[in-house]
Amino acid sequence: MNEVLFYIGAIMIIIGGICDLFGALGLLKFPNFYIRLHAATVGTIGGAVVPLFGVGFLALGADFLPHKYAIAGASFVTGIIVLLAAPAGAHALAYAAHKAKIVKWQPKVDHLAEVREND
Amino acid sequence: MRKLIPLALILAIIFIGAYIITPKLTPQIQVRPLGEFYLENSYFGGYSAKSPEVVTAILWDYRGVDTLFETSVFFLAIIGSLTLFRLNKKQEKEAKQKTEEFSGGLTLVIKSVTKIIVAMILAVSASIALHGHLTPGGGFQGGSALAVAPLLIIAAYSKYALEDHGLDKTRALILRSIGLLGIALVALVPLLNGGFIMQNQPIFPAEVGRQLVSGSLIYYNFFEFLAVGAGFTAVFLLLAIPESVFKRFLRREAHE
Repeated sequence: MNEVLFYIGAIMIIIGGICDLFGALGLLKFPNFYIRLHAATVGTIGGAVVPLFGVGFLALGADFLPHKYAIAGASFVTGIIVLLAAPAGAHALAYAAHKAKIVKWQPKVDHLAEVREND
Repeated sequence: MRKLIPLALILAIIFIGAYIITPKLTPQIQVRPLGEFYLENSYFGGYSAKSPEVVTAILWDYRGVDTLFETSVFFLAIIGSLTLFRLNKKQEKEAKQKTEEFSGGLTLVIKSVTKIIVAMILAVSASIALHGHLTPGGGFQGGSALAVAPLLIIAAYSKYALEDHGLDKTRALILRSIGLLGIALVALVPLLNGGFIMQNQPIFPAEVGRQLVSGSLIYYNFFEFLAVGAGFTAVFLLLAIPESVFKRFLRREAHE
């Protein structure tokens, strides 16, 4: 059981590293602000929340760690906080950028257009 | 391509320097005598803080006067920014009035998440500050974490939400002053009992009801928490005054 937890944790940390790498590449390569925001969220959810949960599992599965429950609890709580905060932050950024009309708005598909005209 | 040459040069210098220097550095294996003294005396010693967290013991006990003056530097920085933004009574009232372009803060998603996170931040910052003598952290760190809560509320709801609920600049300043006064009083109490200034162990009890409070450390941490949190909040409230309002004040002052 402990070993399974340990390996799940280690794999989640590796997934986190890969997500961070892809997020960084996306931030550099994606064409406009809204799509870059997607890359940034990949970096925070995939690259921070997943490895934090991974650290929690790894700590639970590790026999050699002192205070392993404290480490696991702290990482789970931090992970949940980031899980809550990151989408709200991305939402706030997108909302503020749209409202301030800083970013050029050139959608391929705009499902909200009808609604907006009816306002 | 040409831009990469300085980068490569700097990297090469760093790596070659590290390669040459690192083997010649002798590794530090043993704790130095001074460090050993602190480690042994901060919890087990007869005349010390009885704090397992050595850093806090050093900060508020062994070199407490230094930390006191660090706090006063922070205090002066806050005073400086308050002076920069000084408003008279009438202007302050006007700054509290909502501007026309104010539309009630950000969206529902952000507001709901902010509510949850603000409650979490309050709990975590109090825990950092009040556990300062047991775990890493302390008054300043806890206060800085506390200041994030009003900052998030300002971002999500606007500063008017804080002011409507009673936390305006004056209240924040009063809280900060209470914190500073508390630090000064805790520092001066030993003088009344025949001790030295900021002396800890013989004056303040190390345990209250079998709970380790490490003498004066917990009081210092709590008051520093209050002072730092409220000081930052006051500055954030001033920074959140819309630019248009401030420009109006400045223009009016230039006319008079």
